[in-house]
Amino acid sequence: MVRLITHNLLACHVKGCTSNNFPLEFKDVQVVLRESEFNPDFLRGFIPKLEWPALVGAARELGDTSLPDQLPEMLDDDFLKALHHVLLEIHVEEGIMICPNCKHNYPVSNGIPNMLLAEHEIG
Amino acid sequence: MAPAATDAPESYEETHVHDVYDAIASHFSSTRYKPWPIIAAFLANLQDGWVGLDSGTGNGKYLPLPLDRPGRQWTIGLDRSRNLLEIARTCWRSGRAARSRVGRRSRPRLATRSFRVIMCARTGLRNLNSYDPPSSDTRKTKTRSPALVGRRLSRTRTRADICVGDAPGRAFKAKHPHELERDGQDVFVPWVLAEDSTQVFNRYYHMFDDGELAALVSVAAEELGLVIGPAAAEGSLKGVEIVQGGWERSNHFVELRRWQT
Repeated sequence: MVRLITHNLLACHVKGCTSNNFPLEFKDVQVVLRESEFNPDFLRGFIPKLEWPALVGAARELGDTSLPDQLPEMLDDDFLKALHHVLLEIHVEEGIMICPNCKHNYPVSNGIPNMLLAEHEIG
Repeated sequence: MAPAATDAPESYEETHVHDVYDAIASHFSSTRYKPWPIIAAFLANLQDGWVGLDSGTGNGKYLPLPLDRPGRQWTIGLDRSRNLLEIARTCWRSGRAARSRVGRRSRPRLATRSFRVIMCARTGLRNLNSYDPPSSDTRKTKTRSPALVGRRLSRTRTRADICVGDAPGRAFKAKHPHELERDGQDVFVPWVLAEDSTQVFNRYYHMFDDGELAALVSVAAEELGLVIGPAAAEGSLKGVEIVQGGWERSNHFVELRRWQT
């Protein structure tokens, strides 16, 4: 499943592609929304691990503008619910993730990202 | 039968590892539904909020664990087999899990720093060791392996549980009397499809010897400049402790904990 929680961890790993290789850009995506259980403790624990600007940018690419540019200091329920939706309920089912640096395409098919590289692309 | 060992390693692996798992995915999955107790205990002992990486997730049976605390840990399942991942996706959709398709030597970098990652690479090392045809120089085979362990151990707060297949001559051998032995530890294990017994797939398998896994971990740790042993009392050192290891139910396993002072 490509949700934004996963996307926030994925960088291009083509041989020699070591800078500006994150976050991957979405193209031609089909998105499905699926409700999932709201778990504020999980979110609070996970926030320090997020690359915030990358998450906000990716959410906006997918048409969700609910997150602020800066991570707020007060983590109230309204904010956590918006974050929960962005991280865990938006599923990219089909599409391509493109490296901003080397433009390598990582296809997403039936919700499964294919991060495999050809033999000559492996570092 | 096995092709000549002079085949390119990539195509050899494609034929005898990747293609086999894709072909037998459904049947293979149906025989592997029960979590292995050592892995289940490892996951149960981790606190809420940890992020897991299950490298070689297969049908994803570990992804929803621990079952008594649903949604409190988040595990990403990686596998080379598309068909196994499709099964993982269907079976565990309710779990807080993600799956991606990766190769043994083409794993995605995890971009976020300050990450606490746990790992249960149940098949990673075996697959890694299967890279070279059995009759080729075994030293070459072994020097490839630490790369995988090394990358997984590179994060400070990582805890890892690695499990690999057994050496021949124990329970495994008894279960598979028809294995085609080649180079001691490198064997073919026939897989007969339940729905069509005329179809037999020879699955390449590297069987680990006693101490082999721990030796690979040591080599990987040395390459990363890590001290091997319990956390040092003082000084600015980085290390990895082998918390436990052993053999159970045809698998070797080792549990690791990274530390930094």
